[in-house]
Amino acid sequence: MIRYALKRLWLGAIIISFALMMMFAMVYLIPGDPASVALGPRATPEMKEALRERMGLDQPVWRQFANFYGSALHGDLGTEVLSDRPVLNVVMEQLPFTLALIIGGITWSVALGIPLGCIAAVRRGGFVDQVIGVLSVAMIAVPSFVVAIYSLLVFAVALQWLPAIGAGDPGNLASQLQHLILPSLAVGLGWIGYISRMVRASMLETLEASHIRTARAFGLPEHRIIYTYALRIAVLPTITLLGVGIGHMLSSSVFAEIVFARPGIGKLVYEAISVRNYPIVSGAVLVTTVFFVLVNVVADILVGLLDPRVRSSFN
Amino acid sequence: MSIFTDTRVSRRSLLAGAGAFGLASMVNPKISWSADGPILKVRSYSDIQTLDPCFRLAAPEGDITSVIFAGLVVTTPGESWGWRPMAAETITQLDPLTVAFKLRDNIGFTDGYGQMTAEDVKFSIERIADPANKSPYSGDWATLKEVEVKDKLSGIIHLKQAFAPLWTSTLPTPSGTILSKKAITELGGKLGVKPVAQSGPYILKEWLPKQRTVLVRNPDWKYEPGGFAEIHIHPIEDEKTGELGYEAGDLDYTWTAVSSISRLKQTPPPKTKVVEKPSLAFVWLGMNQDVAPFNNPNMRRAVQYAVDRKAVVDAAYFGAAATATGIIAPGLPGHREKNLFDYDPDRARDMIAKEGLAGTTITLDILNKTERLTAAQVVQSNLQDVGLNVEIKQNDSGTFWTLGAKEGDYWKKLQMIISRFSMQPDPSWATAWFTRDQIGVWNWERFSSEEFDKLNAEGMVELDPAKRDVIYKKLQDLMEENGNYVFLTHEVTGVMYRDSVVAGLKPNGEPVFTDFKPA
Repeated sequence: MIRYALKRLWLGAIIISFALMMMFAMVYLIPGDPASVALGPRATPEMKEALRERMGLDQPVWRQFANFYGSALHGDLGTEVLSDRPVLNVVMEQLPFTLALIIGGITWSVALGIPLGCIAAVRRGGFVDQVIGVLSVAMIAVPSFVVAIYSLLVFAVALQWLPAIGAGDPGNLASQLQHLILPSLAVGLGWIGYISRMVRASMLETLEASHIRTARAFGLPEHRIIYTYALRIAVLPTITLLGVGIGHMLSSSVFAEIVFARPGIGKLVYEAISVRNYPIVSGAVLVTTVFFVLVNVVADILVGLLDPRVRSSFN
Repeated sequence: MSIFTDTRVSRRSLLAGAGAFGLASMVNPKISWSADGPILKVRSYSDIQTLDPCFRLAAPEGDITSVIFAGLVVTTPGESWGWRPMAAETITQLDPLTVAFKLRDNIGFTDGYGQMTAEDVKFSIERIADPANKSPYSGDWATLKEVEVKDKLSGIIHLKQAFAPLWTSTLPTPSGTILSKKAITELGGKLGVKPVAQSGPYILKEWLPKQRTVLVRNPDWKYEPGGFAEIHIHPIEDEKTGELGYEAGDLDYTWTAVSSISRLKQTPPPKTKVVEKPSLAFVWLGMNQDVAPFNNPNMRRAVQYAVDRKAVVDAAYFGAAATATGIIAPGLPGHREKNLFDYDPDRARDMIAKEGLAGTTITLDILNKTERLTAAQVVQSNLQDVGLNVEIKQNDSGTFWTLGAKEGDYWKKLQMIISRFSMQPDPSWATAWFTRDQIGVWNWERFSSEEFDKLNAEGMVELDPAKRDVIYKKLQDLMEENGNYVFLTHEVTGVMYRDSVVAGLKPNGEPVFTDFKPA
């Protein structure tokens, strides 16, 4: 198991390096000058040149990459020259908001997706199954920004049940949860559909398994067979799916954070790209890539721990 | 049994009730009152990156520094541009080169930095003016000679030359803010996002990046206090998001999108005042005279005749904005009554035919904002009508603001742009970007006129408003005669706020936070 985990981590490190290289290449291919954008029309050419120098933009791209990568290995993501603040601090201030959004999205998707998938499997072919099927596909099909805008218009503007902007008062959990409801629904709605489809398919397969037949033959109650034995196995692929889903939720969070004016990594990167704030873009991409890789490694290890077949296949 | 008499409560219904109560308690608990008084919640269009007035990057930073650090004078709200003393007890222009001031004797700096003195005034003003400090705002003190300290509270600002914008866009802005010499020196010469030695009617209590900035009344401020105990400033870049935040009850004041003004005026949100304010900004269609086909003056003139400015502005701003007659807004010296060349498509067609340029394709670069795209589409249609093809190229802000820079190569291809500059209430702010030394910096049309440069320099030092009026009108005539510009609009600013608030707004709709009061 340890070898398995180490191998996954090694693979993760390669993915992180590759993602960073891609990010550097893409950011530098976009035209635009961070100094001109940051300093505005009142800056003299000398001031712009000085800022470029402070940002290290006067050096070749490969050296900028090497410097960034070398420093990052020592836990230093550089300094944001406009505010003179460490990039790591700027990024880590925003990360919890995005994590909260993703956890909220997962909560919506797991809390609704798993029961819906279970019910659909148990009522296979019936009216309820069909309704859940249509709902699931609809939820997958609707883009998160559409959900964000319409949920905001209905629940915040028209009904005034929930707040429209921000992340809530610091230190006030109720306020923060209240501000999380709509954005996390926007991020998680599509995954309710995915998970319900996945759980339904997995449950149907599991319910056909021989040990379930044996359990039935022994006269165990149906609800116990479904919820204690079948669901435990059927839910395993969901863990892997959620690992991938977190990556998608990270990208969906950009829309949610902009529409709901929430702080977060997505909004931070969006704003940083629009003004060519390279240190923030690089730092935020590195942190989110590391996070994504770790989540997937953890998901793989979890599946290995929960399913002896995965462990034995590796051994 | 009637449901009204059945009072039995099952375990399930009790749990359901508790859940419903829990949810209900989370619904809309909007509190706009702190322990010390009412809270004002406002939107700004960007977060702060520095609170150093010398290196401020955007207006929202200026709005905050103007209330947490006392300046000698401060802009007054109202329909016309004016100022009133803030840290100064008296301030008088003795002659065109001399301004005498005396500070109020009980303005203190927080964090134990003592009383504000004339030495602090000297330090703060000379700090911005000093080219070694590379402040983007050094031009605000371009003609400063020195600040002379007479005694603890009095001093004289000496200028090398008269400076017309001194009382409009220098002293009442953050460029006239007084910082503590001791505090800034201890900090190594620069202030970051954590303000020290605050001195204004409000002090910064909390800054949560990308979330909000909280200002609270300064308990040591001895003069008229701000109307609200706390001001919460939420950075929301998108105007529409700000509008929705307001409509959901999360904000008390916000700027609106220009395109929303008509709708909001017709059907305002409940208990809301929607105000339309004239903007100082200017929007224009520019032509690069160093690149074909606009290296031909007749082609530039043809485009000036071909563009129906009213149609462009009506479409882009939903009828809320008027067309411009130049780059200087109404109410300022130098505002012109009319353009020299107006919509005349027949004349445009003739000129294009005579030059043999019919069928030419031109690229029009714009920033990727809805109103710019709409304006560009109408221009495209206008020019199509006279035989020219237009390809619209949308750019994000990071790309757009470098298109005409001489450091790159794109200026050699740049043909037409629609651009917008914001400005301060002095005409010199409008014309400064079109001199010859700005070619390849912000003068992307590469407009080149020796006479323009000379008059622009004269306008900066001329104090007689009548003479300035003549100078700045002539400057715009020169721009238009050369053919590089089609002046489109000054836009308008839409503002909405609760009718429980008396908003302190500058003539262009920008907030003066200390002058917001509960109704």
